[in-house]
Amino acid sequence: MQKQANMKIIKVIVAIAVFVSINTACSKFVEYDPQQDYQITANDYLKTSDDYNKMVIGVYSPLQWLYANPVIGDVASDNSVSGGENATDVLGLQQIDDYQLTTNNSYLTEAWKSCYEGINRANYLHENKAKLEFAGKDALYGEVYFLRAYYYFELVRMFGDVPLFTEKRLTASDSKGFQRTAKADVYKQIEADLNTAITKLPVVNVQKGRVTKYAAQALLGKVLLYEGKYDAAATMLENVVNGPFQLVTNFGDVFLQSGENGTESVFEIQYSNISPFYDWSNPGRGQGNLAVQMCGVRNLAGSSPYGQGWSINLPTKNLADAFSAGDKRKAVTILDIEAYKTANPAFNITYLVAPYKNTGLYSQKYQPRKGETSGQVELNYTNNYRTIRYADVLLMAAEANNRATTPNDTKAQLYLNKVRRRAFGDLLHDITSTGATLKQAIWDERRLELAMEGDRFFDLVRTGQAATKITGFKTSKNELFPIPQQEVDISGLTQNTGY
Amino acid sequence: MKKALKRINLLSLFVLLCSISWAQGKVVSGKVLDTGGQPVSKASVLVKGSKLGTTTDESGSFSLNVPETAKTLVVSSVGYTTQEFSITNASMKLVLEPVQAKMDEVIVVGYGTQRITKISGSISAVKGADIEKLKPVRAEDALQGRASGVTVVSSGSPGVKPTVLVRGIPSYTGTDPVVVVDGAIQTLDDLNSINPADIESINVLKDAATTAIYGVKGGNGVIVVTTKTGRKSQKAEFNYNGNYAVQEVMNTIGVLNASEYAAIVNEGSVASGGNLIFPNISNLGAGTNWQNQIFKQSPMQTHTISARGGSDNMSYFLSGGYLNQEGIVGGGDKSFFNRINATSNLTFDLTSKLKFIANTSFTNIKNAGVPENAINSVISNALNFDPTVSILNSVPGTYGKYSTSQYILSEIINPLTQLNDTYNKGNTNKMYGKLELQYDLFKNLKLSSRFGYTNTDVTVKSFNPLSYYGTSHINSTMNADGTAKPGSHNSVYEAKTNYFNYTFETFANYRFKLAKDHNFETVLGFSMARVTGNNISGSRQDVPFNSWNFADISAATGIATNSGLDVGSYQYERRNLSYFARADYDYKEKYLASATLRRDGSYAFGANNKFANFFSGSLGWVVSNEDFFKSDFINQLKIRGSYGITGNENVSPQYQRISTLIYSYGLGQNAGYTFGNEPTSVGATIASFKNDDLRWEQQAQMNAGLDLRFYKNKFSFTGDYFRKDISGLLFTPTLSLYLGTAAMPTANIGTTQTSGIDLNFGYTDQFGKNFKFSTNITYTQAKNLVTETNKGLITGGGYGIPYQTVTRFEKGYAPGYFFGYKTDGLFQNQAQINASATQPGAQPGDIKYVDVNGDGKINADDRTNLGNPFPDFTMGWSLNLEYKGFDFTSFVYASVGNKIYRAYERNLAMTNKFRNVLGRWTGEGSTNDATLPRFSFIDANNNTRASDRYIEDGSFIKIKNLQLGYNFSSAALKRAKISKLRIYAQVKNAITLTKYTGFDPEISGGIFDTGVDRGAYPQARSYAVGLDLKF
Repeated sequence: MQKQANMKIIKVIVAIAVFVSINTACSKFVEYDPQQDYQITANDYLKTSDDYNKMVIGVYSPLQWLYANPVIGDVASDNSVSGGENATDVLGLQQIDDYQLTTNNSYLTEAWKSCYEGINRANYLHENKAKLEFAGKDALYGEVYFLRAYYYFELVRMFGDVPLFTEKRLTASDSKGFQRTAKADVYKQIEADLNTAITKLPVVNVQKGRVTKYAAQALLGKVLLYEGKYDAAATMLENVVNGPFQLVTNFGDVFLQSGENGTESVFEIQYSNISPFYDWSNPGRGQGNLAVQMCGVRNLAGSSPYGQGWSINLPTKNLADAFSAGDKRKAVTILDIEAYKTANPAFNITYLVAPYKNTGLYSQKYQPRKGETSGQVELNYTNNYRTIRYADVLLMAAEANNRATTPNDTKAQLYLNKVRRRAFGDLLHDITSTGATLKQAIWDERRLELAMEGDRFFDLVRTGQAATKITGFKTSKNELFPIPQQEVDISGLTQNTGY
Repeated sequence: MKKALKRINLLSLFVLLCSISWAQGKVVSGKVLDTGGQPVSKASVLVKGSKLGTTTDESGSFSLNVPETAKTLVVSSVGYTTQEFSITNASMKLVLEPVQAKMDEVIVVGYGTQRITKISGSISAVKGADIEKLKPVRAEDALQGRASGVTVVSSGSPGVKPTVLVRGIPSYTGTDPVVVVDGAIQTLDDLNSINPADIESINVLKDAATTAIYGVKGGNGVIVVTTKTGRKSQKAEFNYNGNYAVQEVMNTIGVLNASEYAAIVNEGSVASGGNLIFPNISNLGAGTNWQNQIFKQSPMQTHTISARGGSDNMSYFLSGGYLNQEGIVGGGDKSFFNRINATSNLTFDLTSKLKFIANTSFTNIKNAGVPENAINSVISNALNFDPTVSILNSVPGTYGKYSTSQYILSEIINPLTQLNDTYNKGNTNKMYGKLELQYDLFKNLKLSSRFGYTNTDVTVKSFNPLSYYGTSHINSTMNADGTAKPGSHNSVYEAKTNYFNYTFETFANYRFKLAKDHNFETVLGFSMARVTGNNISGSRQDVPFNSWNFADISAATGIATNSGLDVGSYQYERRNLSYFARADYDYKEKYLASATLRRDGSYAFGANNKFANFFSGSLGWVVSNEDFFKSDFINQLKIRGSYGITGNENVSPQYQRISTLIYSYGLGQNAGYTFGNEPTSVGATIASFKNDDLRWEQQAQMNAGLDLRFYKNKFSFTGDYFRKDISGLLFTPTLSLYLGTAAMPTANIGTTQTSGIDLNFGYTDQFGKNFKFSTNITYTQAKNLVTETNKGLITGGGYGIPYQTVTRFEKGYAPGYFFGYKTDGLFQNQAQINASATQPGAQPGDIKYVDVNGDGKINADDRTNLGNPFPDFTMGWSLNLEYKGFDFTSFVYASVGNKIYRAYERNLAMTNKFRNVLGRWTGEGSTNDATLPRFSFIDANNNTRASDRYIEDGSFIKIKNLQLGYNFSSAALKRAKISKLRIYAQVKNAITLTKYTGFDPEISGGIFDTGVDRGAYPQARSYAVGLDLKF
């Protein structure tokens, strides 16, 4: 009997021992290391120069997501209307066009988020700058600082005061940690970043589309112009005017695929269809330029070189009429589809009249063209956005010289007329005026030369012409777009005046 | 030498035994009968405490030599309770009681069994017999309307998983209950591979008292599946079930015929300032109704053969099954589900104390499907395609068997061409089962250790041929002459995935008594679980001859990684470590109590929160067992209550991931850039935030219930009220937008509340000798409310181009509610438009939307709650009648209050329209029905925006099953040793009563997709005949 009891006790002890030993052996069973799923984490990264190179490419990516910013720049101005399928299609653009802006605008929110993603990506490199030394690091960081400046500039000219942070990529715990910084301080940071970039960047980059010293100088010139620092702008832009750039003889060639990254190109946001994109849930975040699909003609069929689109961002008659006779830029800027159809019966063109806000006109510069997309065809147009062209630089330099403390109107005329001579193909249309008349001439020229390239609204605001030129524009309100409501709600930011 | 010795020993023992029985035996004989006086054949008759025994013959008779000392016989047979009888000298008449839902029935719960009378938690049970009657393809279909508290929305697509909700929708992160098959943990997806004919019972554990033992996995309820086993010392019994059915679509949707279509598009064109599109309507006639072309009558057949029995120290259940279901959309070439099952459940007594159980099942599934429930689905194309063209291509010199439309140039294509160009196949090999050792350490203490496993290999292949949908159709990848368009290629995709899951569990069950009447049943154990998935896939283009016959990566020549034709792979793993304990207590079976504790560790939780504790407790009072309770009417009355905490770990570890992807789909975090004409440069970026505090969703559930049996146990009633409060709902927080676009971490933010009622009412009776009657009604109601999301919002199911989302998970509303504009009739004239809130683009005849926020403008802020795709309540009613050899079964299921969003109308200018357009607004006063606005190609008012125009009441009553059977019983059968021969005829989904205008009001999916009808695969009506044979 005693023996049996002992056996029982031994059995229990053995059972407990087995139980305990199994469990201690498994204590690590529920720990997790992302490496076991072959996931790379921040701990594994920035250990080689290649890692840094890749991270810098990642800073470029959000540029592509800003495809709608140029659309906003024209739709908000007297250059174009929103169009679309109906009043609720592309609602955000309708609101911008109609000056019925609400604080919930998907296009503005996307611009806000994309710029800040770019800034956070740049900041992450800034934060980890000291981790590794390698050849070419300086030039690489020149690109990073240029891009950060570019994103902040987009933000500041759209929204005014914006949260400013430069030290690190924010983490989840930094949520709600920042308020808006005064516009002047944001500009100060942009200038600082661009000046750093200028000292580090090479004048030529082997890879087309990478930022160069000239791009940084041109952008800084533009920024200074927005700040009203005309003397500094004139000096800065002079570097680019004297750079290796030329106006392309045939204006229309600039906007063809063959004209991308050409002799007139100072900086272009690169789009391509080499890696086609299929994600309708984030249609603008691929390698393709969605703005191109947007401005196409609906249900266009026939053998013309153009592809179908969504009839958005339609040029106004006001813009078409602004071109004087003989201006070769008109046909390049504006596609009058009915006239085009009549002129080219061989194409057998049929199309659906733009169902909403039809003007009959389409943006020719960025018209979708057959063969320039692939995969999900709507999402993969290759057209680069010509961010800064030499013609733009000339006009900016002309304006800076005209408005400098000591105006140099001769130089201003020279630069302005370079642009006009190409436009008309002769010297008969040269401008000879000076002073305020010349200034207005330069501004008008900017509209015609850069129409449907996304700067018109910002130029009108910058030059104080917005209230007179734009229907619905309210002074002291519409100079800025509203801060996305979501951000106001979450982060407690103050809203811009009037919204 | 030793062996030889042993043999001699054995031999002598045998001789000895024989001599004893010869010398001291006596003969016992008799007959085993059932309560109706019918003989029970093949019943096992054993001398208690020995291995001596025999089985009864066809007349129920037996004869057995027994030792003089033998006093008792143990008689058992399948379907009867095992009973003991004292040996008498006369010829014995032994009457066996049939097994019924008796008071002493035992129910399988987590890590043990419990007598039903002692349960104080909430469980719904479905018997194997009910499953056998329904003959479903998937076992969980048998829960619909039979298990109260469980909502099942079935899919019509062959073999596809239905929506299964146990007590409402607590979370958006997955609502599938965990499935436990013979103790081994599996998932709802695995139920596609179990032959329903092999199932003994399905119990659904609903409240915290019963689910808390599964801790972090128990939050969505637990489905406990028990498969059949053999019985020791039983002669082999064979079963064959065969069933052949013809399936067809229940109804078609009214679309315009060719003449009507032409008239309407003419009107639309003229209204928008265009020309007549069809100048001559008169010759068009009825044209083609494409629905009649895609729906086929399709066969389905099932065959199962099984054997069960056992010897002295082992028992077995063996089963083989074959199922072939062809789809009604497109027919068996393009849509089918084939399943082969083989199951072997073996139990061995290794020693008197040590038992070994090996359950092994192998399943092979072959399937193919057609595009479903989307704007590009076959059904959507059939509804929306041009009715004026003929079925076959009649244009000389153009490619393709079927016609094309010159008017529809995007998205919608000829559904027959689409079916023709749909090529895919899947093959699944699955092996699952368990190995288990049970050891009786000493009396009432049993140790169990088991290893449950599932190994699944899935191979899929699909082929995307070059297609021709018309010269100008943007989706055409061929020219009219059948040559490839420049830059167009066909492509083939192949993928292989392996899933391997195991659970290793060791636990001890100990049963003891304190004093005289304090009974305890306890369990203590631990569990380790690992779930893994491994996939590799690849695709190539340029399949030779544009043919499925050559569609294989090895034959395709084109590599086009830039077009997304790439190789890919993924792998994942989840691991859990858990400890659990439970104690059940009762005092004289009057007062019941139970307590459960579980500690769970999950690899998915953040470093700061690796382990979670869950507990539950329940109390029960069996009033009818009280001395003071004397009622002849009420046979049993039990009051139950429980409270406890369970969880949900549907979360992934949150860390700072580096993405080097050019695209990350869904998140939009592209990290590539293309410099000039170079190949896209691969970039890198931080793609996600980390959250080390991540933990589980916590569910607190209370349950109060009542069990009642009355009037000679003929009536039964079970009612439960429950309330679940979920906190720490895994939710993506809305952080400052200036943090950028990296994936926000999941955090424990949200709360929801669900409450409801489960009722079950049964009545079983027998009238006279031959007429048996039983009926059962279930009622399931759950009300769900999202109570906190920290301003977060999850938008889900959507449809169409451009894509509009219509379902949401948001604070203050039911999960998955429909969101859109409310309509308020039609504008009859300009004056009404002027008097209403500003609605850009509106003209007379357009829909008037409600200015919900009252700001005088109709805009996105006016979108609001438009109803809920989940039913207010569901009911099931089953009826079983038996008269002599005949038996009749019917089952009716009703779902009330579920809304459906009709999302299969494409609404392009030239796509076909639905018949209600004939009642459209045609002038002031013609109609004010918001579903019938004027028709124009130009829809400046956006009448097609997501609104209640598309929402319909999806309430329905379905006669799910009607079955009439006949049992043959004749001497001839008995001579042929056939103990049962039954034939039957069955109609499934005979009649659906509903106001819904689509095919089928049951639209399954996740919580965001349930009830969004994008052309969902409707359930088939089927007519079947079958045969059940036992020998």
